[in-house]
Amino acid sequence: MKNERSRKHRRLRLLRIAVQAFFLGLFFTLLFGTRFTGEDYIGRVEAFFHFDPLLAAATFLASRAVLAYFAWAAVTIIVTLLFGRVVCGWICPLGTVHQFFSWIFKKAKFLRPKKPASGGLWVKYAVLVFVLAAALFSLNVAGYFDPLSFLTRVSAASLIPAFERGLNVLVGVVYAAHLEAFGDRLAQAVQTLMLNSTFSQGFFIGLIFLGVVLLNKWRERFWCRSICPLGAMLGLFSRYNLFKLEIDEAKCTRCNLCSIHCQTQASPFPADQWKSSECVYCETCAAICPTRAITFPVRFRKEKLPDVDLSRRRILATSFLALFSVPFFRISKARKRADEKLIRPPGALPEPDFLRKCVKCGECLKACPTNGLQPALAEAGPEGLWTPVLVPQIGYCEYYCSLCTQVCPTGAIKELSVPEKTTVKIGTAWVDKNRCLPYFLGRPCIVCEEHCPVSPKAIKFVMVETKRPDGTTAVEKAPVIDLDLCIGCGICENKCPVTDRPAIFVTSVGEQRSGENQFLLKMDN
Amino acid sequence: MNRRTFLKDAAFGGAALGAGAGLFGRMASAAAPPDLAIIQGDSPAAITRAAVETLGGMGRFVAKGDVVLIKPNIGWDRTPEMAACTNPDVVRTLVELSFTAGAKKVTVMDNTTNQAQRCYARSGIQEAAKAAGADVPFINPRRIKKMNIGGAWLKEWDVIQDFVECDALINVPIAKHHSLCRVTLGMKNWLGAIADPRNRLHQRIDEASADLAAFFKPKLTVLDAYRILVRNGPQGGRPSDTRLLKTSVAGADAAAVEAMGATFFDIPPADLPLLQFAVERKLGRIDLEKLVLEKRTV
Repeated sequence: MKNERSRKHRRLRLLRIAVQAFFLGLFFTLLFGTRFTGEDYIGRVEAFFHFDPLLAAATFLASRAVLAYFAWAAVTIIVTLLFGRVVCGWICPLGTVHQFFSWIFKKAKFLRPKKPASGGLWVKYAVLVFVLAAALFSLNVAGYFDPLSFLTRVSAASLIPAFERGLNVLVGVVYAAHLEAFGDRLAQAVQTLMLNSTFSQGFFIGLIFLGVVLLNKWRERFWCRSICPLGAMLGLFSRYNLFKLEIDEAKCTRCNLCSIHCQTQASPFPADQWKSSECVYCETCAAICPTRAITFPVRFRKEKLPDVDLSRRRILATSFLALFSVPFFRISKARKRADEKLIRPPGALPEPDFLRKCVKCGECLKACPTNGLQPALAEAGPEGLWTPVLVPQIGYCEYYCSLCTQVCPTGAIKELSVPEKTTVKIGTAWVDKNRCLPYFLGRPCIVCEEHCPVSPKAIKFVMVETKRPDGTTAVEKAPVIDLDLCIGCGICENKCPVTDRPAIFVTSVGEQRSGENQFLLKMDN
Repeated sequence: MNRRTFLKDAAFGGAALGAGAGLFGRMASAAAPPDLAIIQGDSPAAITRAAVETLGGMGRFVAKGDVVLIKPNIGWDRTPEMAACTNPDVVRTLVELSFTAGAKKVTVMDNTTNQAQRCYARSGIQEAAKAAGADVPFINPRRIKKMNIGGAWLKEWDVIQDFVECDALINVPIAKHHSLCRVTLGMKNWLGAIADPRNRLHQRIDEASADLAAFFKPKLTVLDAYRILVRNGPQGGRPSDTRLLKTSVAGADAAAVEAMGATFFDIPPADLPLLQFAVERKLGRIDLEKLVLEKRTV
């Protein structure tokens, strides 16, 4: 049979793939650039987030604060109003990841689309309604489902760490092959990238990513069809868009290829069933149509709302579900009393405000030069899952660094200049005299005091008499902490030679952002 | 240098160095280079250059075709005005002098205490040394090997191979206050040439430093005392923790340089346990009054 497929739409499809590759590249370029680059201040590496209307809406609703940089989200809305869900099909980096794996799965015959899929589309609208309704009740769960937060978090805490470890294996292979000079160069290049590779939850966050990718085996772009609340949101705006699918009835052979291979279940055939709210303008249907029957001419008509998917009953039910689930998120000690391990990054807002704004994207985890910022598990309660906490045993807060405050896309961590940051107290250091070498063994050690970055030092020395196990007496310099000077950076805990449970450690108490998590009586007179 | 300028310098130096340094030493004879060159001046580069030239020039330490390793202190995420890391101009000058003496390759590196990339960048050393043509690599974990230190106390430790696989090793510490050791100069600087768990060595820091100094045996030690850290060491944090001495001390005898450095903090060299250990290990001489010192201002 003569190939009658549309050259124009095949070219458009190639263009779409190029644009996807460009934006995926841009996304990872910015993410890899989210590190210390030699300068105190880095540019707007978190720019992607500010174009995200879901985060804009959820953060606005949850925090009741207007964040100026989310004005960029209007660009996304306008583009969607004019051109439909092109952001999903052409730009969204997670969409590209899913489409890439769907394509691989199809090529590998792992995914065999036989007949047009149906059903399941409503779920993402339910997710959207849930996210927005929960935000209205000040519970911000947008970040768990928002595609940009999802991909950034997965990359920062799992994919990039695995990549770093893979690179190190590669360096090892290069050395094993006796290519010393090349190995040295490669090792230096890897170090310059400053890829954090230690995340206590990296494995599980990676498993979630694997699960979400494997869903593509069931249906192409499963996430985009059924889960993504941002896609659902853009779907609501897309019905006015200019380009409407049309099928030339004279040419159409009713082969149904278009609907079988539709990436997102937009049902191109028959044309009156086509859902503009699902179409991501991937150009697949028009490009594969054997008779060039499918086109996207400009039409000034409004599509009907996706009523099947977004019934009033479902909106109400989901809103109530969100309303009733909010208290469940708060049945936790976290709301009553601060956790000792909940050491927030400098600039973090007071806990309730922080939780309203943090979208768990992991930008700060990527930016932290010491790898100390980790995704929380239970420290901050259920609604604080994957919010950043400083774990000094993994990495301390570098004194002259304010990168995490600069990259936070929602202002959950307030942007600070370096001089501002050096004054922020995030916790308090304590000495465990039963483990500290001078106190317990009468042995000299200075490591904590030596590393204390503030001037004058918050760790001072007193001469302490210690009975050694053999009964003799030692007099050694032992550390004491000046609470007025300690900022809780955790370098003392990080560098303490008592490896497993350091003899000096930081807890969150005394953190300056909190009025409650304190211990000293203020006595001004 | 004539007698009159020396006297003038000695008076100036004595005031600037807290009266300590000016009292020591004999005048250098015209022929042999002095044991120590103590040069003062407004430019860190010029005093470094003059100090090395006074010792007979870099050619005395670096031969044509040598691989040179320069070990500054890049331990802390601090800018030069904090005097926590070696002055970048001093490092740059030594790189230039090494190349002029015919070095094939010059490497500048340190095992930092704060996050390495930040220390390299914010100390200014990475940029300065690279501009002069040096390699400034980060510590490569694959180039660390357990080695026999053979010290009186420290027997073996993981050593970063770059510091032993070179023809000429130059130590460029900065003079700083330190709570445990009182001062940290050239010998403790060798903790930056070995791998973790370095923090355990603090339990016998002076012996460890002396053993490491005996192990690494630098051909030349240049003590950066342009701006020294007088309190809150070894990293300071405020410019007021520093004092401008505008001095460079250079010598082939690491113990002598160390002894001279101690006097900048008004510490008699013999009072430092580290220098006692250094003498025991025959690392050099600390009896400054018997050494040939040449002091100048440039």
